[in-house]
Amino acid sequence: MMPPVLAETEETRDGNFFNAEPYRLLWRFFRHARPYRAWVILALLLLPVSTLLQLWQPLLIQQAVDRHLLPAQPDGFSGLLALFLLLIIGQFVVGYGQTVLNTLLGQRVVRDMRRELFAHLLAMDAAFFARNSSGRLTNRISNDTEAVSQMVSAGMINLVGDLLLLLGIAVGMVMLSPRLSLITLLAMPVIVLGTLFITRKMRTVQREGRLLQARMAGHLTEEVEGRETVRLFHCQANNRATFDRMNRAYLNTALESNFYEALQFSFIDTTSTVVVALLFWYGGAMRDGSDLSIGVIVAFIDYIRRLFFPIREISGKFTTMQSAITALERIFALLDTPSAIADTGAAIPPPQPIRGEIAFQQVWFSYGDTPVLQEIDLHIQPGERVAVVGPTGAGKSSLIKLLNRTYEPQRGCIRIDGLPLEQFPLARLRRAVGMVQQETFLFAGSIADNISLGDPAITPERVRQAAQETGAMAFIEALPQGLHTPLMERGVNLSAGQRQLLGITRVLAFSPRILIMDEATSSVDTLSERLIQEALEQLLERRTAVIIAHRLSTILHADRILVLSAGRIVEAGRHEVLLQQNGLYARLYALQFQTG
Amino acid sequence: MRSPSDASRPFLWRLRHILPYYRQNWGAFLLGFLLLVATSATAALIPYLMKLATETLSDPAGGEALTIHVSTLILVALLNALLRIRSRTHIFAIGRQVEYALRNAYHAKLLSLDAAFFNREKTGDLVSRGNNDILAVRMFIGPGFLQVANTVMVYAVTLPVMITLNASLTLLALLPFPIILGVTRLLTTRLYRLSRVVANRFGAFSAFVQEGVAGIAVIRAHAREEDWHHRFARETQEIYTAQMRHTRLQSLFGPMVVLAGGVGGWILLLVGGQEVMAGRLTVGDFVAFTGYLVILVWPTVGFGWILTVLQRGLAALERIGQVLDTEPFSLLPPAEPPPAAPNQTATPQPGHHPTHRAEITPLARPCPTIAIRHLHFAHTEPVLHDIHLEIPAGSFVGLAGRIGSGKSTLLNCLARLYPVAPGTILLDGQDLLSLPETTLRHTVAMAQQESFLFSATIRDNLILGQPEASEAQAWEAARLAAFADEIARFPNRMDTLVGERGITLSGGQRQRLALARALLMNPAVLLLDDIFSSVDARTEAIILDNIHTLAQARQRTILMVCHRTAALHRAECIYLLEKGKIVANGTHATLMASAPLYQGLHQQMARHEALESLQ
Repeated sequence: MMPPVLAETEETRDGNFFNAEPYRLLWRFFRHARPYRAWVILALLLLPVSTLLQLWQPLLIQQAVDRHLLPAQPDGFSGLLALFLLLIIGQFVVGYGQTVLNTLLGQRVVRDMRRELFAHLLAMDAAFFARNSSGRLTNRISNDTEAVSQMVSAGMINLVGDLLLLLGIAVGMVMLSPRLSLITLLAMPVIVLGTLFITRKMRTVQREGRLLQARMAGHLTEEVEGRETVRLFHCQANNRATFDRMNRAYLNTALESNFYEALQFSFIDTTSTVVVALLFWYGGAMRDGSDLSIGVIVAFIDYIRRLFFPIREISGKFTTMQSAITALERIFALLDTPSAIADTGAAIPPPQPIRGEIAFQQVWFSYGDTPVLQEIDLHIQPGERVAVVGPTGAGKSSLIKLLNRTYEPQRGCIRIDGLPLEQFPLARLRRAVGMVQQETFLFAGSIADNISLGDPAITPERVRQAAQETGAMAFIEALPQGLHTPLMERGVNLSAGQRQLLGITRVLAFSPRILIMDEATSSVDTLSERLIQEALEQLLERRTAVIIAHRLSTILHADRILVLSAGRIVEAGRHEVLLQQNGLYARLYALQFQTG
Repeated sequence: MRSPSDASRPFLWRLRHILPYYRQNWGAFLLGFLLLVATSATAALIPYLMKLATETLSDPAGGEALTIHVSTLILVALLNALLRIRSRTHIFAIGRQVEYALRNAYHAKLLSLDAAFFNREKTGDLVSRGNNDILAVRMFIGPGFLQVANTVMVYAVTLPVMITLNASLTLLALLPFPIILGVTRLLTTRLYRLSRVVANRFGAFSAFVQEGVAGIAVIRAHAREEDWHHRFARETQEIYTAQMRHTRLQSLFGPMVVLAGGVGGWILLLVGGQEVMAGRLTVGDFVAFTGYLVILVWPTVGFGWILTVLQRGLAALERIGQVLDTEPFSLLPPAEPPPAAPNQTATPQPGHHPTHRAEITPLARPCPTIAIRHLHFAHTEPVLHDIHLEIPAGSFVGLAGRIGSGKSTLLNCLARLYPVAPGTILLDGQDLLSLPETTLRHTVAMAQQESFLFSATIRDNLILGQPEASEAQAWEAARLAAFADEIARFPNRMDTLVGERGITLSGGQRQRLALARALLMNPAVLLLDDIFSSVDARTEAIILDNIHTLAQARQRTILMVCHRTAALHRAECIYLLEKGKIVANGTHATLMASAPLYQGLHQQMARHEALESLQ
């Protein structure tokens, strides 16, 4: 029954080189590499040097054999030996330098690309994150960029190097003996086609193997996560059979790939030996009155051994390039997605300081095709405390999130202190409008870091003071390292009540003029409940506040209560007045807030 | 992960999980070894034949002999290729076969283990053992054997030939080789460590990005983007640094091997050249030496590398062993026929049971009574305390109580997902722990509140426990769970893919699919764990009607946990749990009259429902 986990998806597809798209992507990518132009040029310049260092060696051997060894002529031999040693050491140094340089280049370009991607993500709007899972976005930043780095480090520059090496070998051979080169040239189609055929086969089989491996991993993951279900429905036997099928299929691809691997290994060895044998044979046949010497044959043997390496590499590099290009496609697609919330306000500085007056004028907001808020008209005085109540799905949370431009209305205008929201620089707006959410999101890091969020303007004293004002300090001091106690991921080592207290403390530390808040519904014990109430009172003091109220005390303390239903404000006023109207509020109140 | 005592255990003990495979395959290993001997022998012939050909070429009178040498060379090269392909595929195949068998064994083991084990381990870690560690063991067996045997053979064959040609030259030319071996060994261990650092950095980086994306609302709401830019820049810089540290070392590897080979060749030219000029060595010998040197380079490198592979293989074997050595909680031997004295090896393990349909041993009656006697249960803290219940066959029983009062735990104990003490839960007088797995699963079915759906089709999820169920039966089960109409409206109907964990379905759809799956088992005892939490009241009523009809028609015992007390109206008896104890029981009416806790639960629920339906 098991799933086709990780089958052909956008993540596993490979690009192809048969249309213009890859070249357009590559060109765009090259522009990203621009700051490192100098490094690229250096890497390219090293290529001919390394080719020369490699290809000179067989020539020296030929000279050694023909001029010194055979005629027993020691004069100048030591010079040749010295040059030879120099070439060997040079090859080592240049080879090392090339690999380091290529990796450095790849890693730097990718580091920049990652930063660009992350900066882009930070500027994206809330709706974007609702559409894209965090796993997917993380994949773009970590894995796709890694594929691109592979392309730079192992792909592009080395591809040029391999081609250069092939060319160099051809030149070297022709220089040594045009006729023997002809023999090798005749063998070339066999060598190239054979190598290409084997590497291609191998890659297909290995790809299949990787896919099966991913499927087995997916199967195992599901089985571990769904272990109780597996047990309850007694499908162990069935699952074993399914897993065995995958495992066996994997075994078959593995055996096949083993064969091609061994074939590749032997093909190169054997073909080069056969070519060498043919050289001997041809050398013997044309011996009379020809330019052929033993040294030339020895040098040829060397060249032929070197010939296979670049041929094998080239086809591998195309695979690297292919997966990098699909990665680039996804990366650029992400970079090209614009944010729905544009920071347009930088130009006009708003009056200082913000008083906290809020006005909604005929505001309409829909989420996709679903209308959420309609014809909202609302005026809130500085320092006023407004509670928002209403049934589920009435648009309460959208209403408050319009205020810090998490969302943007399609129609109408929202003003703070008489200025439209778009005229505030985003950062300033969001520092002015503090938000307390139902669930406090905590980052891995210390408690102090989670309160200040790394803002240098919020000093340790300010953090301490805020924690004291909200009463969070009581539980923080009980922790082993106090404010410096590290929190585990999402703050799982704290209770729900403590997390809420921290959320309130955080906003208090930022001291915004306006507060928007979605009161937590999750139940906490009575003691925490009282602490949270007290913390809230601290936070709400002298601030304009719009609160989605879930607690009785909140609505009783509000200056005004707004009743939202199906995206419209249907009732507004103080508690007693609304109760007397005996409308939606009265019913809501009876159900939600009257305990008993 | 590794306890210090394990390292001091005998080597064979550390290999205990793969020793049987070695024993089974000793013939194959022997054949592989012989093939390697033949491969090395033919490989060593090639430089020698080249030497002969070179010498003949330099001898003006050797035309005939050259043709013979050349054709022999081609033949030997081809033979060598065949032998090499055969030996490599043969030996690697053994490793692959063991990998296959070991992975199946690991998988079967995971299927047999219980909650206690899984609560200790992380999913990702278990999956990684099943993948990466088994891969490392395969490397240990296949390439590990090949490299070691190959290196030994290549040296055993090549070295004598070289020494025969010229002993001192051999020694001198091989001078760089111990350095290759040492450096390779050093580099691979260091590189392994550094690549772990890179992998960890990368993992931390991914976690950082994931956290940033998840907490983006907070970052934005406080306008802290600037700070995150800096932190991100720092993270990327750290990856860069770790990567470059790895690269600086890794880049040494290839050039170093080439350098060592080159220096060997250079020594050959330096010393051998003098010898040739002095007439003590032929040019052919020189060519042969160069050839032998090439033959020796890679096995030497391979040997240094394989030591690291072997080390990693051993560590991986240990991690796999930790799972393979774990035993699931023991069950009692079946009550019928009466068992002999309990004996460790005779104790059947869940998952080890025969699974053939023919072997389902039915209980005495189609619908059993359930008796719970003094049941205590604790995870780390006590959850159930002295539960005592008698549930007559065919009755409909409700369980109510606050969140965390132990209702779900009780159902999990009844479903034998959690280990209980022997004799505390009896089905028709038979100990729950003595029932064969197959019998139990076809007698007791449970629909969980958060049922797991596999990323497969609706049908696959539905017929999970009854793979041979007919299409009509599947639809009937879906109908009973009030899900059939919706399935029929999906474009692919039963073949609709539900996505990972059923993500493409709504919460209510997932719950109904899970219920249908349990109903399809046609069980005598049906355990329902809060299956209406995401289902609307109208659908809930339809499902309840269907279940009641079933219960009456086919004599079925139903235990239902439900937060919506309304669903419990029709229960013959409701047990009220509080802090792991049964504090009251009775019908809905009597409990409403007598138990304030039950009243409270009922009112809370009623208010919640009224609020939800308000517009």
